[in-house]
Amino acid sequence: MSAFSPKERLLRVLDKEKIDRAPVVCPGGMMNAAIVEVMNRTGHTLPEAHHDDTLMAELAFDVADYTGFENIGIPFCMTVEAEVLGSDIDKGSLACEPKIRQEAYPSVSQVEFKEPQALLRSGRINTVVQAAYRLARKHPDYPIIGNLTGPISTAASIVDPMSFLKELRRDKENAHRVIDYVSDVLIAYAQLMVDAGVKVISIGDPTATGEILGPKMFEEYAVPYLNKVIDGIHELDAAVIVHICGKMQSVRHMIPLIKGDAISTDAMVNLKRLKEDYPQLTTMGNLSTYLLESGNYEDVSRHTRRLVGDGIDIIAPACGLSTSTTIQALQAMTQTVKEL
Amino acid sequence: MSELKAKLFQDLSDAVVDMDEEKTVETSHRVIDEGIDAYEAIEKGLAHGMDRVGELFDQEEYFIPEVLICSDAMYAGVEVLKPHLKGDEQGEKKKVVIGVIEGDTHDIGKNLVKIMLETSGFDVFDLGRDIPPQQFVDKAKEVGAHIIGLSTLMTTTMDGMREVVRILEETNLREQFKVIVGGGPISQSFADKIGADGYAANAADAVRLARKLVS
Repeated sequence: MSAFSPKERLLRVLDKEKIDRAPVVCPGGMMNAAIVEVMNRTGHTLPEAHHDDTLMAELAFDVADYTGFENIGIPFCMTVEAEVLGSDIDKGSLACEPKIRQEAYPSVSQVEFKEPQALLRSGRINTVVQAAYRLARKHPDYPIIGNLTGPISTAASIVDPMSFLKELRRDKENAHRVIDYVSDVLIAYAQLMVDAGVKVISIGDPTATGEILGPKMFEEYAVPYLNKVIDGIHELDAAVIVHICGKMQSVRHMIPLIKGDAISTDAMVNLKRLKEDYPQLTTMGNLSTYLLESGNYEDVSRHTRRLVGDGIDIIAPACGLSTSTTIQALQAMTQTVKEL
Repeated sequence: MSELKAKLFQDLSDAVVDMDEEKTVETSHRVIDEGIDAYEAIEKGLAHGMDRVGELFDQEEYFIPEVLICSDAMYAGVEVLKPHLKGDEQGEKKKVVIGVIEGDTHDIGKNLVKIMLETSGFDVFDLGRDIPPQQFVDKAKEVGAHIIGLSTLMTTTMDGMREVVRILEETNLREQFKVIVGGGPISQSFADKIGADGYAANAADAVRLARKLVS
């Protein structure tokens, strides 16, 4: 019998309180574990579950139930925000996540600013919020993690990304206005999720990386707008996880400036060293998703043990999982954490 | 090289590095007015600048926004100079067919590879994204490509790369084209496994690889 429920354990670690052992989670959104094998066993399938709150809730619980992850994460894609902001979405399939078919605007100077509250009545926002509500009531011992696509990635999903990246330098005024607007919409969406019972929001912002933006643009755009969204969520009394994709060297020194309650990183980042250099950080990660997909269960266990041994605060996959990853691989990961 | 010519080439190169599109256009017009060879101006001016941009990218001085703006400046100059190229200077480049097997609009990596290959003297045919394997083969045959470049952003579609190689083998075309692969989930070991000719981790790598394969 564990001393803490999965929900207590995760919330305590995010609050920097003492715990019995690290939680093992897979937040959802960009990093979701809705693998084909789980869906085939339960019949709760994608792409349908992207659009139906009952199915979304069932599949989200199936994932936790079959894999052993100690959270329930919704939704299963990164397109909810861009869709309500006007982009055209490809609905995806069982094995392939939804993606942006066409951005709403060719340039940051052409973005129409709409009232956030009106936007939130459209698209799949209500699907996610209703799913959160069901899950929070039905599974009070699990932390429900609501996932947001970060401000830079959402902006680059409503404005053509090639133009967007150039305009970060060429049209700073409009770039700032658009990202600020997107941040307001994200906070308003997060509020609906928190009102429905979500205790933790996880932000994945794969366009906001050192590799793509470089340190100057990361400092000018990623840090302030991530922090704006984080501050907005903290005001709602929810915790925030931030996932930073890719190599981090060029922006590593700015990571402590991000005000999230935990920082999750990709597999190539040495989390142990990050923690040594910045002991104030709560670290999360970073088991290689290629290793998980490879199906080499002994290596999965061995690397998971190493992460736990390194004192990583929250054990999680390093990035988005391949949908062909097996239940057994994910169980090898979660069981290892629970048995140590 | 005359002093003026050398200066104009240096100006073109610098304007690309400085992301100054107006200056590449203005200087390119000046090149034409002075009766200087357009081909040489592209090679020793604009492409030279883009080479320096590639080095700055390798050294992490420039990142993707900067590279994209520099390439806009370069292409603006090329547009001015292109009509003045002599016929035989246009048709002798090595050809590359590239595309993304499955991905979304964030095919930044592929676009970067395209830009870098073009500035390194390759003729690039960009199929775009969500391209079925057969289409790569068809296009490569049609244009007489030397290289087929495949990228994917999603692990679930890595099999599409294997499929391209398989189609080439089945139709006895494997020896005609070099196949290179890249993209988020791809690794050297995956490239080896499917029998590709090479793997590139980034755009600069892709240029080195392409040059090596056609030399």
